[in-house]
Amino acid sequence: MKVIAILIIVLTGGLLIYGVEEMPDWGDPNSPASSHVSPKYIQEALEKTATPNMVTAVLGDYRGYDTMGETAVIFTAGIGCILMLRKKRKGEGD
Amino acid sequence: MATHFAALVIIIPLIAALFVPIIGWWKKGLCYPLVVAVLIVPLISSLGILNRVIESGPFSYYLGGWAPPWGIEYAIDYLNAFVLVIISAISLIVSIYSKKSVEKEMPEKVVPFYSLFLLLVTGLLGIVVTGDLFNVFVFLEIAALSCYALMAIGRDGAPFATFRYIIMGTIGASFYLLGVGYLYIITGSLNMLDVAQRLPEFYHSRVVLTAGVFMIVGIGLKMALYPLHAWAPNAYADAPSTVSGLVAPLMTKVAAYMMIRIMFTVFKPVFFVEIIPVTTILTWMAAVSIIVGSIYAIAQTDLKKMLSYSIVAQIGYIALGIGLANRSGLTGAVLHILNEAFTKGCVFLVAGAIVYKMGSCNINDFKDLYRKMPFTMSAFLIGAFSMVGIPPTCGFFSKIYLIMGAINAEKWIFVAVLLFSSILNVIYFFRVIKIAAFDEVIPDYSRTTPYITYRLDEVPLSMLIPILIMAAGILVCGIFSPEIINTVIQHIIPASF
Amino acid sequence: MLEYIISKYNFWVYIILLLIGLYAMLGKKNLVKKLIGMNIFQSAVILFYVSIGVKKGGATVPIFMGDAHAAHGHGQAIIDVASYINPLPHVLMLTAIVVSIATTGVALAVLILIFRRYKTLELDEIIKIRKDTGV
Repeated sequence: MKVIAILIIVLTGGLLIYGVEEMPDWGDPNSPASSHVSPKYIQEALEKTATPNMVTAVLGDYRGYDTMGETAVIFTAGIGCILMLRKKRKGEGD
Repeated sequence: MATHFAALVIIIPLIAALFVPIIGWWKKGLCYPLVVAVLIVPLISSLGILNRVIESGPFSYYLGGWAPPWGIEYAIDYLNAFVLVIISAISLIVSIYSKKSVEKEMPEKVVPFYSLFLLLVTGLLGIVVTGDLFNVFVFLEIAALSCYALMAIGRDGAPFATFRYIIMGTIGASFYLLGVGYLYIITGSLNMLDVAQRLPEFYHSRVVLTAGVFMIVGIGLKMALYPLHAWAPNAYADAPSTVSGLVAPLMTKVAAYMMIRIMFTVFKPVFFVEIIPVTTILTWMAAVSIIVGSIYAIAQTDLKKMLSYSIVAQIGYIALGIGLANRSGLTGAVLHILNEAFTKGCVFLVAGAIVYKMGSCNINDFKDLYRKMPFTMSAFLIGAFSMVGIPPTCGFFSKIYLIMGAINAEKWIFVAVLLFSSILNVIYFFRVIKIAAFDEVIPDYSRTTPYITYRLDEVPLSMLIPILIMAAGILVCGIFSPEIINTVIQHIIPASF
Repeated sequence: MLEYIISKYNFWVYIILLLIGLYAMLGKKNLVKKLIGMNIFQSAVILFYVSIGVKKGGATVPIFMGDAHAAHGHGQAIIDVASYINPLPHVLMLTAIVVSIATTGVALAVLILIFRRYKTLELDEIIKIRKDTGV
């Protein structure tokens, strides 16, 4: 068990370190992540959604569908816990 | 209305999942008809979507009206529409079946069960319909969480098996998320089509390589492909019958869909075939999966466990078809997704019916089952035929395409694996059929009536009809498979094959 | 060499955290420890994403500074992209954090079920009980 775990760690870690080499430097304002999609959020969020907080604008509007999924996840977890843990109370029957 | 079919597929089951607890709180008995009625909507919508795709080609639907890549987009093409129809059809059939089985196995938990049932279907449909890499993760987690909860309330070993599934499933989902993050770093986008467009110039970057490997490993974990399969057999076998009837046909197939999507849409086929040899590794993993899964299946005496190992073997067929990366191979893989959904659905529902009648599903107790439950066991026979690949079932056609794919790729070893696995399938399925149909019951002469007379003892109609529909589905898909391939599947194959 | 390590140190931090979490998930014998490992693992992925959003050179939190009403009223206000960090990874991670919490909750509920059945949370003891009783 431990041997397998260490083997998997070495493989995963090796792959991750291998991948770091060609990553853009940390905090580079011209990296693709900061220059392709996100500038439009920063520039347009206020005008289009009238929300000064860009994170809120993206969370609630541009990617609101993701947020709907997120609430569904919480609902799922809640109902799941009810399903697993709820015991039938005495005298309750139908 | 018709333009919003794509959104209805998700929204209606999700909203209904919220209403089930409220209505169940008022009247418990209304949950079942509500769920069945609700699940008709995704089926109609996805048939509408498929019809629209066939008539006018792929289309997209902008959620909230935000244009991609800034907003989230449903990008619907032949593959999405096809898998959507499969998922919604299977889930509707299983929901009809669920009534008696749920009432018997967990009478006090009907309300949260049906709510989670709808959430599971929502999650599976959401993974397939969306065109956004991160959105896939969100719906993957909805499906996974509802699946964990539903599986954990099964028979004895279920919670422990589920915990293993949680650990493995979370590693899989997080690896996928990590891969998405790497793609985001290099391309700056999350929209599948946008990423696909921006990616080719970076194909030789190490970041993209890492991303590809992590995504494929993550999805492989969800698919239960050897050697990442260890969690699957126990989790599927111990789950309540209705749940294994829903999850076994769909969960791994949706992961297979994701693999096709990542390998052939987000990345161009050239990346995984030529730049890094993932397809070659995948074919070998698939081949081992097929053989090991089948051999383990032979060793089982519990029907549900045998079928669960058979999932590992069958997912190997799909992975093999994907890994061969040629026209016939991928046709076979996609056709096998359809075939597996119906076949596994059919045999797992039969297993559930046997559990319902006998309380367990040990194969050695099956004597004379054909006389007691002739219709159910005939459906099982059709399922077994499809598993083995006997015409005119769908399994025959998908296997033929897979074998043709292996021949076209000139990989003779896989042709041998496919043929050999058919023999293994014969062994483990026909063992069940032999015991159930042909084993003589030893007459007990100490009694006044030495031969026990068996009366017809079929399961209730609400269980029998879905089983027969599944069995009919196997035959219909087999007979019409040339039409299915001509109208849908041939458009799924990437142009470069 | 040192400069190379420092210029990408966010990646090293998250890789170490990720591997600690992964090791705990696979190698530890106690189920609760596995679960904590899962949390560390997911946190590592979250940190990785958040670190993508950083922009050096005077960028600040992605909240519009200045007179929001005036800017909104005058239509297209000129907003300098370099002065705000990238909001998208933050949004994604809000969702991922919620997902991670939900997974932890469900896993804890499953652990309660396991404890009710086996009266222990040690992996080898559970495996022994499963072997003895055949379930």
